[in-house]
Amino acid sequence: MNARMFAARVALPVLAVVAVSAQASAADFDWKKFQGKTVTFLANNNPVSQALLSYKADFEKLTGITLKVDGYQEQQMRQRLVTVMNARSDEVDVFMTLPSREGEQFAVSGWYADLSAMSKNEAATDYDLAGLSQALLKAGTFSGKLTSMPMNIEGPILYYRTDILKKCGVEKPATIKDVEAAAQKIKACDSTITPFVSRGLKPAVAYTFSNMLHNIGGSYMANGKSNLCSPKGKETLDTYSRLLRDYGPPGVVNYSFQQISALYRSGRAAMSFESSNELRTVMDGGERLKDTGLAPFPAGEAGQVPTAIGWGMAVSAYSKQPSAAWYFVQWATSPEIQKRMALQGIAPPRPAVANDPEYRKWIDAEPVRKEWQAALDVLATKGSSEVGYPIVANPQSREFIGQAVQDLILKQKTVDQACADADKELDALIAQK
Amino acid sequence: MSDAAATLTQDRQRLELSALSAPAVIFTVAMIAFPVVYTIWLGFQSFSSTGQQSFAGLANYAKLASDYEFWHGLWVTIALYVLSLFLQLVFGVWLALVLFHAKRLPGIVRSMFISPFMMPPVVAGMMWLVILDPSLGAANYILQSLGLPPSEWLASPTWVIPTVALIDSWQWTPYVALIVLGGLQSLPPSVYEAAQIDGASPFKTFQRITLPLLLPTIVTAAILRSVDLLRFFDIIYITTQGGPGNASNTLNIYGFRVGFEFFNIGYASALMLTLTAIVFGAVLAFNRLRGAVAW
Repeated sequence: MNARMFAARVALPVLAVVAVSAQASAADFDWKKFQGKTVTFLANNNPVSQALLSYKADFEKLTGITLKVDGYQEQQMRQRLVTVMNARSDEVDVFMTLPSREGEQFAVSGWYADLSAMSKNEAATDYDLAGLSQALLKAGTFSGKLTSMPMNIEGPILYYRTDILKKCGVEKPATIKDVEAAAQKIKACDSTITPFVSRGLKPAVAYTFSNMLHNIGGSYMANGKSNLCSPKGKETLDTYSRLLRDYGPPGVVNYSFQQISALYRSGRAAMSFESSNELRTVMDGGERLKDTGLAPFPAGEAGQVPTAIGWGMAVSAYSKQPSAAWYFVQWATSPEIQKRMALQGIAPPRPAVANDPEYRKWIDAEPVRKEWQAALDVLATKGSSEVGYPIVANPQSREFIGQAVQDLILKQKTVDQACADADKELDALIAQK
Repeated sequence: MSDAAATLTQDRQRLELSALSAPAVIFTVAMIAFPVVYTIWLGFQSFSSTGQQSFAGLANYAKLASDYEFWHGLWVTIALYVLSLFLQLVFGVWLALVLFHAKRLPGIVRSMFISPFMMPPVVAGMMWLVILDPSLGAANYILQSLGLPPSEWLASPTWVIPTVALIDSWQWTPYVALIVLGGLQSLPPSVYEAAQIDGASPFKTFQRITLPLLLPTIVTAAILRSVDLLRFFDIIYITTQGGPGNASNTLNIYGFRVGFEFFNIGYASALMLTLTAIVFGAVLAFNRLRGAVAW
């Protein structure tokens, strides 16, 4: 039998059988197994959940499961979650979580169900667990337990106004030092524009500050102690606060993503460090569509170490129907749904979705989307999920980072005083069990 | 009917009434007592960052003494309380006098005067957050249009307490005015007729008659506002979250963060019970004052 005959008589039928089996296997997956059940989803009312929940009816039709959505703003969602979990209540089956922030804390508290087995044994064939960002899966794994499935990928990037930079004779900033030089030129060139804006609100600072710290070459901890008073730590504190104090908007100490996006979208800011997730908000109305450029977070002395995080979906350890809850999680993080969410501007945590022709067509439709995807590619390949201290009390550690930055913006302390005060509190926090 | 039979009937009626009202009494006591007792119990517990719980005795209360954030929060709470209460009582009495004397004021204008306190505090907070935004808000636009320098309002450690006090006073002054207006309407007209015959000026009439007679009503308004102001939360949470830095970090905001963001429910309970004791103290003090000024 020659090669052509082998292909025609043996190989092709075998391949066809394998393909049909795979299809049948995907189709055979019993999505109706939990028909009639009700799954409660505690959601953070952000663009990620909004995009997901626009397909809620499809999930209910596919599975016969009723999805009850309990939606709040981020802080209120955590408040509700803490109450429910401390009471060991089964009121919530699935909840949204940020592994980079509360992952370790929730995992040690035993609030997450372990998804390791379900993601392998109870998943539809086309779920493609291996297709999810391995970095984000790793970020959601604590003590060997997979605690959440990634919903998106995001990180701080540079938004800049191409028209203003051109008018003021400024090149696109490639480094943190370039950002400061550009801000200085813009301030001199157009006094009506805020040259630069980033997060200044105390609990929100860590998100953008961490990226700058890592790019400059600093680290939060060394030898089990807080390291903000190291030369690189002090340089970052000084640079970050100086940028906001000298070139930021008045009242920047109250700025989080909402204020930054509003200022930038209104055309009153020239450059901004903000989440890649804010693209949809910033482009809302279309005024910034043609005059905005996007780039990865500018490099420091240590190059580019971008912050890459993602919202995850977790099943509550106290849910009485973890398998039904898992059905919702796997549907929500499946390639099909993540592709649909991507077309709404939610960056997919699946490289395959990012390469999907329909998605590529959407990306190619606008130059700013191409730059956005290029910045996301850098996040996906080089990203670190360390935002704040890598300790159980991570949320509290962010307060002290924010406090040190605010003390410097408001000129209430010197860099040495601010970092020493923060280190003292952070060392106490690190020492806590 | 003999005395014995009558007593028996009375006892039976009392028993029946007790039995009938028991469910309501038990429910009410349980609804009030359970959260209080549970919070007291939590105040004696220690919670680690991971939610591990252990008995801590009085450690949470001992920690209060050396906790800078607690003393700072207490100072912020009291500063905000004193400033807001002063503004609300002064402008509340003034507004009540305007509404009392301007009898021909159209109903819609009267409704507009008193409408702010009907607005949910979260909505009021969001509205003022937008108005006071140093870059995009209307407040600085107006100041600059008048040739005045802009302010950082809620973003300034110096101005944040007066600004929050102004927002709260904008919302709650009409409420104080309504209470005082009720008091004004119940004042005896004969006293004013006598003052008029004696030739007292309007200012003297206000100083010597209206204000002293209104004092019990004003103290009542002060008690009602004190309870709210000492546990002031919503507007601060919406507008500043205790910032900038910790410049507006009241005990209530601090307790919320300790409990729900840092998961130390035991220490948060101790903080909140201390705040409750302060609220009770203020109410008792005002009650005594009300007794002293009653007529």
